[in-house]
Amino acid sequence: MADLLQLSIVTPERQIVADEVEQVNVPGIEGDLGVLYDHAPILTLLRAGTLSYEKNSGEEVVELVVSGGYFEVTSNRVIVLAETAEFLDEIDHQRAEEAKAKAEKMLGQSDLDDDAFEKAQKKLFRALARLETVQQQKK
Amino acid sequence: MPNLQDIKRRIRSVKNTQQITKAMKLVAASKLRKAQEAISNQRPYALKMIEVINHLAARCNQDLHPLLDNRHEQRVIMVVISSDKGLCGGFNASILKSTIQVIEKYEGKELEFIAVGKKGRDFLSNRNKKILKEYVNWTKDFNFQDAAEIGKFLSEAYESNATDKVYVIYNEFKSVIQQKVTVEQVLPIVPEVLDLKENEFAVDYIYEPDEETILDDLLKRYMNVNIYRACLESIASEHGARMTAMDNATRNAKEMISDLTLFYNRTRQAHITKELIEVVNGSEALKG
Repeated sequence: MADLLQLSIVTPERQIVADEVEQVNVPGIEGDLGVLYDHAPILTLLRAGTLSYEKNSGEEVVELVVSGGYFEVTSNRVIVLAETAEFLDEIDHQRAEEAKAKAEKMLGQSDLDDDAFEKAQKKLFRALARLETVQQQKK
Repeated sequence: MPNLQDIKRRIRSVKNTQQITKAMKLVAASKLRKAQEAISNQRPYALKMIEVINHLAARCNQDLHPLLDNRHEQRVIMVVISSDKGLCGGFNASILKSTIQVIEKYEGKELEFIAVGKKGRDFLSNRNKKILKEYVNWTKDFNFQDAAEIGKFLSEAYESNATDKVYVIYNEFKSVIQQKVTVEQVLPIVPEVLDLKENEFAVDYIYEPDEETILDDLLKRYMNVNIYRACLESIASEHGARMTAMDNATRNAKEMISDLTLFYNRTRQAHITKELIEVVNGSEALKG
């Protein structure tokens, strides 16, 4: 297998992944995208969701939850600048549930200004992305 | 003649102090290791981000972006990063010294502050400076979100024309024994630092959503990363400075203990000699 993508996933706090992979699937802001070898250069913002990549002829699939950031592909180098990124086993299910409940409660208030609304909405999306990924894994 | 009991008490108290300084040194050393790790952990992110910005900047019109707009320097915001706790040698003193220099330099201009760290906050409020925001007890569990909060405030102020320039004053971590006070411009973003080259062979990207939105987001985040790094450097410097200071203190205490012990022994001997003389004299007198 010569045709591999150089993937690196970094957050401000640490480098999470530096690996050679076959396929990367990311939650782009305008829809999910899958990237294979020789993909055209692309730069996009990410939304909160599940990012996955495949190794060893699709035998090994790794999933992470990311929330926001950037995704760049140039000449088979894939850079993910994520705000946060967690492997599945790092996700705290209970905390995500709590965050979701809290965000929903906040969004239910009527006297929310734009800033607070945006913040609560982001929080909700983050929590939902985490829960969704965990639930899919369980099936 | 000095009282033996008093000397003993002093030795004991210095010993206690020595134990404390020794413990503080060890704590600082382990925290320093963590802080250094945090600095090296954020480096890949910053480097990758600069790479992306460079790719992008080659493709769009950078002059239009508000955060790159260089205005005449009339209103300035200073972010002063200091520590919350003392006992770290010249760490805060050198930060505050250069803050004074800055204050003198901008005499007659509008100067506002953001105080990160209790020592800097106290210093500025004692001098009746205008503090826009203050963050105390910040070093514990400091993370990127905290830096982003400061960054958001700054970029909003800059975009709404409330200020013309933003600097950060912090201790740059050179080595455990050396910290360098650095004044760094964070806004407007200096394109030279980023090395924005127009002529770089431009890759034709697919953009989602569009170049301007991404550039805007990237530049803001770049500034946040800068602030984050400055804070991490400051934390590492603080622990380094404290470690050195406590090491010195421990050594001084050790010296003091050995001096005092010597003094104690001499005094004890002098007491005995004196008593002996008294006894001899007494018996001589009885004989007479």
